[in-house]
Amino acid sequence: MICQLKKIVIMKFNIIILALVSLVALSCTGLDENLYSQVDSDEYGKTPQEVETIVGGAYSSLRGFRDDLSNSYPTSEYVFFLNEVVSDEATIPTRGTDWFDGGRYQEAQRHTYTPLNEMVLSAWRYCYQGVASVNGIIYQVEQSQLTDEAKATIFAELRTVRAYYYYLLLDMFGNVPIVTDFEDTELPSNSTREEVFNFVEQELTESIPLLSEEKIYGRFTQNVANTLLARLYLNAEVYVGAPRWQDCINACEKVTGYTLEADYFANFITENQGSMENIFVIPYDHKEGTVGNYLHSMTFHYLHRFTVSATGDYPWCANGISAQPGVYSKFEDNDKRKASMLAGEQINLNTGSVIIMDSGEPLVYTEEIENFTDAKQNEGVRLYKYEVKAGETWERDHDWVVMRYAEVLMMQAECYMRLGNEGLARTFVEPVSQRAGIEVPANLDLDFLNDELLREFIFEGHRRTTNIRFGDYFEPWWEKGTTPIERGIFPIPQSERDKNTNLNQNPGYN
Amino acid sequence: MKTIYSTILTKQLQIVFSICLGMTTLFMNAQQIDIEVVGIVLDDLGVPLPGASILIEGTTTGTVTDFDGGFSLKVPENNNIIISYVGYKELNIAISSNTIIPLAITLLPDLAALDEVVVVAVGYGTMRKSDLTGSISSISSDDLRQGVISSTEQVLQGKVAGLTVVQGSGDPASGATLKLRGGTSLTASNNPLVVVDGIPGVDINTVQPSEILSIDVLKDASAAAIYGSRGANGVIIITTNREGKGKSMSYSSFTAIGKVNRRLDMLSSNQWRQYVRENSIDGAVDYGANTNWAEELEQVSFSQSHTLAFSNGDKLSGMRGSVSYLKNEGVIKTTQLERLSGSISGYQYGLNDKLKLQIGLNSSIDNWQPLDYRIFQRSYNLSPVIPVYDGVGEFTSVGGTNYENPIELLTNRTAKDKRHRLLGYLKADLDITKNLKAVANLSYELNSHKGNLYKPTFAVLEGRTDNGFGQKTLGEYENKQFETYLSYSNTINNHRFNILAGYSFLENVYEGFGAFRRGFDSDLFEYNNLGAGFDYRAGDVYSYKGESRLVSFYSRANYTFNDKYMLTGTIRWDGSSRFGANNKWGVFPSASFAWRISEEKFMESTSNWLNNLKFRIGYGVTGNQDGIGEYKSLSIMGAGSSSYYDAVNDIWKRAYAPTQNANPDLKWESTEQINLGVDFSLFNRINGTIELYSKMTSDLLYTYSVPQPPYLVGTMLANVGDLSNKGIELTLNGSIINTKDMQFSADLVLASNKQKIEKLSNQQYETDVIFSGSLHGLPGMSNQFAQIIKEGFPVGTFWGYEALGKDEDGKYILSEEKKNLGNVQPKFTMGFGMNFKYKSFDASVLTTSMFGQKVLNATGMSLWDPNRLPAQNVPDDFINSGITSDPIYSSYWVEDASFFRLQTLTLGYSFDFEKIGISNINARAYVTGENLFVITGYSGIDPEVNTSGLESPGIDLFNFYPRPTTVSFGINLSI
Repeated sequence: MICQLKKIVIMKFNIIILALVSLVALSCTGLDENLYSQVDSDEYGKTPQEVETIVGGAYSSLRGFRDDLSNSYPTSEYVFFLNEVVSDEATIPTRGTDWFDGGRYQEAQRHTYTPLNEMVLSAWRYCYQGVASVNGIIYQVEQSQLTDEAKATIFAELRTVRAYYYYLLLDMFGNVPIVTDFEDTELPSNSTREEVFNFVEQELTESIPLLSEEKIYGRFTQNVANTLLARLYLNAEVYVGAPRWQDCINACEKVTGYTLEADYFANFITENQGSMENIFVIPYDHKEGTVGNYLHSMTFHYLHRFTVSATGDYPWCANGISAQPGVYSKFEDNDKRKASMLAGEQINLNTGSVIIMDSGEPLVYTEEIENFTDAKQNEGVRLYKYEVKAGETWERDHDWVVMRYAEVLMMQAECYMRLGNEGLARTFVEPVSQRAGIEVPANLDLDFLNDELLREFIFEGHRRTTNIRFGDYFEPWWEKGTTPIERGIFPIPQSERDKNTNLNQNPGYN
Repeated sequence: MKTIYSTILTKQLQIVFSICLGMTTLFMNAQQIDIEVVGIVLDDLGVPLPGASILIEGTTTGTVTDFDGGFSLKVPENNNIIISYVGYKELNIAISSNTIIPLAITLLPDLAALDEVVVVAVGYGTMRKSDLTGSISSISSDDLRQGVISSTEQVLQGKVAGLTVVQGSGDPASGATLKLRGGTSLTASNNPLVVVDGIPGVDINTVQPSEILSIDVLKDASAAAIYGSRGANGVIIITTNREGKGKSMSYSSFTAIGKVNRRLDMLSSNQWRQYVRENSIDGAVDYGANTNWAEELEQVSFSQSHTLAFSNGDKLSGMRGSVSYLKNEGVIKTTQLERLSGSISGYQYGLNDKLKLQIGLNSSIDNWQPLDYRIFQRSYNLSPVIPVYDGVGEFTSVGGTNYENPIELLTNRTAKDKRHRLLGYLKADLDITKNLKAVANLSYELNSHKGNLYKPTFAVLEGRTDNGFGQKTLGEYENKQFETYLSYSNTINNHRFNILAGYSFLENVYEGFGAFRRGFDSDLFEYNNLGAGFDYRAGDVYSYKGESRLVSFYSRANYTFNDKYMLTGTIRWDGSSRFGANNKWGVFPSASFAWRISEEKFMESTSNWLNNLKFRIGYGVTGNQDGIGEYKSLSIMGAGSSSYYDAVNDIWKRAYAPTQNANPDLKWESTEQINLGVDFSLFNRINGTIELYSKMTSDLLYTYSVPQPPYLVGTMLANVGDLSNKGIELTLNGSIINTKDMQFSADLVLASNKQKIEKLSNQQYETDVIFSGSLHGLPGMSNQFAQIIKEGFPVGTFWGYEALGKDEDGKYILSEEKKNLGNVQPKFTMGFGMNFKYKSFDASVLTTSMFGQKVLNATGMSLWDPNRLPAQNVPDDFINSGITSDPIYSSYWVEDASFFRLQTLTLGYSFDFEKIGISNINARAYVTGENLFVITGYSGIDPEVNTSGLESPGIDLFNFYPRPTTVSFGINLSI
């Protein structure tokens, strides 16, 4: 019985196998994927035109990104916010329920930031996303069929973009891993702040001769790289403990072809691409899909839109970041740059009278913020540097100013001052102050330069670095006590250390 | 129970008595003469049984009963006749001259035997129910959930133990989420694979509920492993009505009225004024109106449905066609779903009845208006003193983000979506020999979705700022399949076996495009002339295409010995283009064994009450490849996802950047499952099943963040974690009263599942905790999360501060540390239904319940905010609560959302036309109430909150479309 059964089974099984084999022969069993609207990385970047679009990616990375983990925009949430709020020029007070968000802004204000702070993570990821994409781009350009000469030029530019990210990492985090090889998949460990400094210096000095001598808008040229190098030297004492004032001056002197705009705000209008002063900008155009450039909406009161448009047709505003109390009054009334802030009554264009808030009180932006953790909706003067106009969309169109010629002048002024040459320092600071309508005092000193740096570069993201360089960062100020010296750099984000156990935490943090 | 038992006893005694009587006559009359036996054969309900066989014992002489159950047979005196009918217990009656003629013979059903003839779809063929070794629940068309159904999966609600069907919304355009035995995946779909008439992976809505003959749900791995890498979440096999028997026509129709019966109790305008007065709030602006914003959004819905079907068929050929129309109006203004669907199918035999060809076509067209869900949050925000319309009849706009007039949002918008579903197939069955059969199935599915949206230039949200916004999109999905298998079955003595082997090829292609435009000088065109807009932006035009292929080999062997011991083994090899280069093929084996202990000799003593007792054990491995998607293992460059400024040429160009790391190891999620089952039937009245299972899912897919550098992209889809589910299920069907005039039955399904994340890390990817359940968008809670995904906890575990009470100032007192606040997984789920029939009346009721699951009432949490008044509205309860604290996420709002819902209640009446001389017409009229009440302690609108996905499982967050209470009136006619 069993035998019979077995026989049948075997026989039938043979038939089945036969049938299957013939079927398979007839049918397709290919399991490779055909791509249609996506590109396999290995198959892209063969022609010069394709290579150009890959290199372009290095520049679009400068606008940052948003994903589930972080909001990494250099223009607002949170890279800009972080650097502004920890400095003495801006604050994000908690207003009722709004802007508490787990306490991340309060931590920044009070310099109690921890490795869990989302803003710190956002800043880290902004830089390393940039580094990773540049490394990937270098790898892809290497694979391309371009001539070695053409590659060398492209590499110089890409290395400069990467050096910019590493400069930011050096400034914000200090001891960060240096990764330059895309194919290296080892989990990297920290380099010392000095190593990072040397790396940035080397990358820049090696690249500069190969960069364009011409001005190219929004690209890393020799002028841009020299300005960056000057920034590096200006802060060398903070970064590596040894000042490099003369090197900073030398780098500044190589920046040519720029001049101060007669109108300070010409650099910040929506169509600011004509500025003769801006050395490096991150270009924005909402019609081209650029995102992240919505600082106006982060600062204005919810009902501010009626001051721009009688019908209230203006993107929604979230009533957040404001100037820290004490900043507005640091500007003399005749200082043209005081208009970088918006204070006072806000008029409804429809009614012609002052806007009334939900509380029934008028909307009057005040310098004072009585209670940082429960501020009134109208407290704090607002960031008003870039042009605000009716018809603008949530994504604004002004190009984001990263470096201006005024900075090159002020760096030289500061270096000469620190080298004891007040006379030369004066020649560099005077054009800047006079344009704003204020006089340089007879006795020029670093304190004046410090205040002038605040006034000239307010809300341009420089202030934290300046505060640290001048040492103010560690002194008490509004809503903040003494800051331990270790907090001059941010902690390495915890989630990054979870992923990469080779990363050590910065000193002073857990 | 006792009475039922005694009825049976009485009947059996009667039979015994009549047999004795026959025996007596045997002794008394030795001389044989033929007796003309006439009689009628009835079932236990007294309904005539046509086609029952009457045989003189020991001979081949006999007859069958006619249409009315009657028969006539000449029987030699003192012989016995055997009366038999499939599914009924055989009767042996002695015939003598004393036998009282005519005979009235009542056959009793043999439930165990019925199982033998009931077939169950098991994938690639059917099996006798009695031969099953795996865990399979079967539902016949009569048992499907009734009411206004616009998404086919809803018919399964409360019907299958272990299958939770959560309808998270009352939106007529939204379906329900299915989850079997707790689900197996974190990020991938937990939807079971749907097989329609043998075609796997089909959209369940290609079949209308009226077309369904039966649904079989393959629950354990030993049953589902035949579907390999798609079987991990179970398989729902739908068999539709393809073949008409005889000539018939049917028409059914209903009209339904629905309304909202639960809403949040917000301050009325008078309460608001009183509050403002008592608290002397100066700035509060009274616009003088009395508006209930929630009610302003609502409407009483009127829905209707018509279905017409006819069929014509005999043994050799036949066809069936049907067409149906459904208009399901929503209880929120503007929403409705309209569906026109039709199906046609036919079959014919050829080659001496050895070849059977079947073709079929199902098609449906849905038209609906998608809703802007932002209206719900606005309806709570706007204060009740604000009028809907201002003095000149315009929509009132008081300004402010999140304060937009929801009626304006609802009105100033044109949104029309259309979906077209088409499923066509050709199937051939060839009997090569008596035992060997070949089957080939060729199918094509096309599913397209058109989207149209226009926000006019005067629409407050987006319309005004964009100066008009128009959008048109088209997405298309094709599913081409070829399947073929050979099946050999034979019975040799007591050995019954079936061997099957097959091959399948599947290709999915999806493609689509879309276009947006802003800047319209006129609103006249709406979305129909996008070219009229002047404001062009990058990304306003896009298109895409992708495809995947699945190649499979599969085999199954069943062996049954003596109807007592059953053994099943299956194996499937799946090769998928989606899998990474290092894992192109997966193997999915299973084995199961069953023992019908009630057939054993030693169980004879209990056979009078224990009609069936069967033990089953099964083990198998199944996969889930849903979470992978196409091209996920490759290193991808993002084409045109961002742009850069080319200063030399003064133009913006698309930048190409890496968007995805390569992961050549990427593969399916793999679930090992062991299942123990017991099937029993008692007293011929009660059928039951108990299942115990333990599942372990490994290689869980999750998008891990990876260090960057060295990776090009900061995230990576990888197979890392383990997830376990253990549970128990009980199914009971009882036929409590079963007489000719009155029948009463009850069904109960109960299930309990315990889930645990066993592992989230391996050498390569380390994850301590993943935050989920985003609260982003609530004031003060940007980038905050309510839940954690962590080893040792189930998915959807709420993690936060415990609220210990409130202090004198009305601030919450919170625990020092964050804690486990419970999770969204129900402790157990229940479906309970009853059917009652008395003469022409029938009634049925279905209740569904879930117990022990937690829901975060984020709506309540953010509404209980002292900053809201006077500008925004708050719930009544908040005023009396004394809470002065800003909203904080804590256990205060993590509520027990256990509920008991009266899902449907139906009353029906069947007309008897024979009384008035019209035969062959069946007509029934009924009324069905749906969602008549829900018992719950949950303080939000409805405790049944969507629990799928990681975004916001079990979080009630404003976007809640109220589930209506509906009453429908319907008729069914057939001739």
